[in-house]
Amino acid sequence: MAAADLRAELDSLLLQLLWDLEELESKRVALNARVEEGWLSLSKARYAMGAKSVGPLQYASRMEPQVCVCTSEAQNGLQKFRVVRAGAQSPEEVGPREAALRRRKGLTRIPEPEVFSASPNPLNWFGILVPHSLRQAQASFQEGLQLAVDMASLQIHINWGRSQLRGLQEKLKQLELGAA
Amino acid sequence: MAGRGKLIAVIGDEDTVTGFLLGGIGELNKNRHPNFLVVEKDTTVNEIEDTFRALGAFSAGEAEASPDHHDPQLLNETPNRQFLNRDDIGIILINQYIAEMVRHALDAHQRSIPAVLEIPSKEHPYDAAKDSILRRARGMFTAEDLR
Repeated sequence: MAAADLRAELDSLLLQLLWDLEELESKRVALNARVEEGWLSLSKARYAMGAKSVGPLQYASRMEPQVCVCTSEAQNGLQKFRVVRAGAQSPEEVGPREAALRRRKGLTRIPEPEVFSASPNPLNWFGILVPHSLRQAQASFQEGLQLAVDMASLQIHINWGRSQLRGLQEKLKQLELGAA
Repeated sequence: MAGRGKLIAVIGDEDTVTGFLLGGIGELNKNRHPNFLVVEKDTTVNEIEDTFRALGAFSAGEAEASPDHHDPQLLNETPNRQFLNRDDIGIILINQYIAEMVRHALDAHQRSIPAVLEIPSKEHPYDAAKDSILRRARGMFTAEDLR
């Protein structure tokens, strides 16, 4: 019976692994597509701004990350990644009063100070008015980052599944040897 | 830093690094080292390997035990290689053709964090057969195991 239980567990683990691998592959295809879109947009931006205008020469001398990852522990003790963006805050809620104030002639709304840390948009490295293609490139790579984070979590899960599978296979072998 | 999570590092060609830095992952200030490496034609394999290993392959204890332990003097001379012992990197993105150059280092990296993701480059499309993670996954299933 122990062997039967082990086999059932093995089957379930194998199915989960195969599902994770399929999910990883579909995310990889999406990531590759986003990255390729990003390169194309960067090329278009270079065409508009000049060949040397979009590259390492424009990197800022000081950079603060706008995107980080947080690790959290799932129920099975596995680490899972989650994207954290600088300045992540609840959207500003504009009530009817504020909207009415805005519509009044001559009344200027005092801009609220930026709550998040002063992490300038990397687009600013390339000038004040950047072509739309550069913004598109940024959007593509930002989507790619989300996919990359999901893929990293899946990889951790797959590696864990692999080690569990090996362990169960060893146990099963020992049980079968013992029974023999 | 501890409050805001871990960084995403990138080792890649100019377009890949520029793109992901545009995405907002870059960190560089007077006192910290960059979390990115632009691999150019004159970038040596040793440089790439040092950066990769320093980004996450070694803990403080493993560095001394490694047969490829690098001269500390060399590390001191290459401050941007001080990814060694950085525990603030969660994910490393690396172009697959660069990963091929340091495949032995990638295969030796067994820890789950930092996670290493291989991505295509403009000149070298992604090849699943070369991916370390997928190769390990393929190795899970043998005819013997599935009997």
